[in-house]
Amino acid sequence: MDTNLVIEGFKFMALGMGTVFLFLIILIVMMNIMSAVIHRLFPEPKPSASAQSDSQNNNKRIVAAITAAIAHHRRS
Amino acid sequence: MKVFILKLLALLMLMGMGSISANESASAPEKMSTHQEETYKTKPLSEMMSGFLESTGIVALMYPNPDELNSHGEKISDFHKSWGRVIMIIITFLLFYLAVAKGFEPLLLLPIGFGGLLANIPVAGIAGDNGFLGIIYHMGLSNQLFPILIFMGVGAMTDFGPLLSNPKTALLGGAAQFGIFGTLVGAVALSEYTTIFDFTLKQASAISIIGGADGPTSIFIATNLAPELLGAIAVASYSYMAMVPIIQPPIMKVLTTNAERRIKMTTLRHVSRLEKLVFPILVLVLAILVLPESTPLIGAFMFGNFLKETGVVDRLSDTMQNALINIVTIFLGLAVGSKLAADQFLVPDTLAILALGIVAFSVGTAAGVIMAKIMNLFPGHKINPLIGSAGVSAVPMAARVSNKVGMEYDRSNMLLMHAMGPNVAGVIGSAVAAGVLISLFK
Repeated sequence: MDTNLVIEGFKFMALGMGTVFLFLIILIVMMNIMSAVIHRLFPEPKPSASAQSDSQNNNKRIVAAITAAIAHHRRS
Repeated sequence: MKVFILKLLALLMLMGMGSISANESASAPEKMSTHQEETYKTKPLSEMMSGFLESTGIVALMYPNPDELNSHGEKISDFHKSWGRVIMIIITFLLFYLAVAKGFEPLLLLPIGFGGLLANIPVAGIAGDNGFLGIIYHMGLSNQLFPILIFMGVGAMTDFGPLLSNPKTALLGGAAQFGIFGTLVGAVALSEYTTIFDFTLKQASAISIIGGADGPTSIFIATNLAPELLGAIAVASYSYMAMVPIIQPPIMKVLTTNAERRIKMTTLRHVSRLEKLVFPILVLVLAILVLPESTPLIGAFMFGNFLKETGVVDRLSDTMQNALINIVTIFLGLAVGSKLAADQFLVPDTLAILALGIVAFSVGTAAGVIMAKIMNLFPGHKINPLIGSAGVSAVPMAARVSNKVGMEYDRSNMLLMHAMGPNVAGVIGSAVAAGVLISLFK
C-alpha cells in the first residue's frame, strides 16, 4: 500500500467537519437574520387585534358581496 | 347529433376489441394444456417421491447444491449454503425477539428480520434477481429511492420550531457528526495496521456514517459507496438507533458534573408560522450553494417539511407522514433484509462493522456533550450539556434520552423541547456529512 490511508482519513475528517460546521454556522447566521427580518416586516398580530380585524374583513367581504349582487341584478 | 354518432361508433369499436380479446383469452388455455401434456413424462411413483424429497429444504441444507449461485451470480462456499443459513435464520429470530419483546425499533427490525429469514431460504431464491425480495431491492434500494422517500416523510413529521427559537444549538448537531469522521479514521487505521480487515476508503466511509445515527442516510451512503456492506451497515445502524437509551446515558453521565446536569435553560420564544415556512427554503438554498451533493437528501427532507408548514396541503403532508412512509418502510426493511443472506453477512467484516458502529455512536454522543461544555465557556445563556447528546440524529429518541437523564437529577427540568433543536440539526448535519463523503469520491 503506497498511500497512508490514515492520513487520508484525517484529511476527510478535516474537510468533513469543516463543511458541516461551516454549513451550520452560516445556517445559524441566516436563521437569526431571517427571524429579525420577519419580525420587522411581518410582526405577529396580537390575538385580540387579529380577531377584530378578521371580523372587519368579514364585514367588508359581506358588503362587497351585497354590492356585487345588486349590480348584477340591475344589469340583468 | 354528429357527436352522438361518433360516440356510438367509438362504443362499437370498444365492444369489438373486447370480444376479440375475450376470444383470445378463451383459446389460450387450450394451447397451454396441450403444450403441458407434450412435455410431461410419466414416471413411476417411487421416482416421483425421491425427486420430491431431493427438492426439500432439509436436503438442500444438508447437501448443498454445488451449482447454486448467490444473488450476484457468484459461487458460494458450502458453509454459507448449509450451516451459514441456519445461523442466519437463528439471528433473524433474535431480531424478532429484540423487536417484539424488548421493543427495539420494531417498525424496522421486523421487516428487516423477516426479509433476512426469507433471503436465507434455500432453493426458493427469494433474494435472487427474480425473487420478490430481489425485485424490491432493485426497485428502490440499489437506486437509493427508498431512503429519499423516507426522508420526505421524516421531513413532514419534523418541527423546526425548537431549532428556530434557539439557533445556536445547531452547533451541537454539528459536533455529533464527529462520530462519523472519527470512525472513518478508526476504520482505515484498522485496515492499515491489521491484516484481518482490509477496508477501502469507500467502505470505511460507508461504515463510519453509522455514527450519524440516521438510518436512511446510512443506507443512502452504503448503496452509493459500498453496496456489498449494505446489510451489515443497515442492521448496525438501526439496531444502535434502537439502543440509544442504553448506549447514551452512561457516556452523558461520565462527561458532565452534577451541577451541569441541573442547568435550567431559558424558555423557548414563540416562533411565527412564516419563519417555519421560510426555513426549509433557506436550508435548501444554502445546500444548493454550498454542497449540491447533499441536495437529494436535504431536498426531499425540506420538501416534506415545506408541505407540512404551508398548511394548505394537509392531505399530501398527511400521506407523507403516514401512508407513504409506512409503505416505504415495509419495502425498505424487506430490501435491506435481503442483504442478510448468509454469504454476505457471515463474514469477518460484519463483526468489524458492528464494533465500529458502536464506537461511532459513542464518539458522536461524547462530541455533542463536549461541544455543549465548550459553548458554556462563552458568555450568553447557559446550555445544559445533556442536550448535546441529542446531536446524533436519531429523532426523537436521542432528545427523549436527554429529557429522561435530565429529569433524573431535577424532576422539574424539562429538556425535551430544548433537545429537539440539536436533534433536528443533527439530521441536517449528517445529510451534509453524507454529501461531503459522496462529493469526495466523485
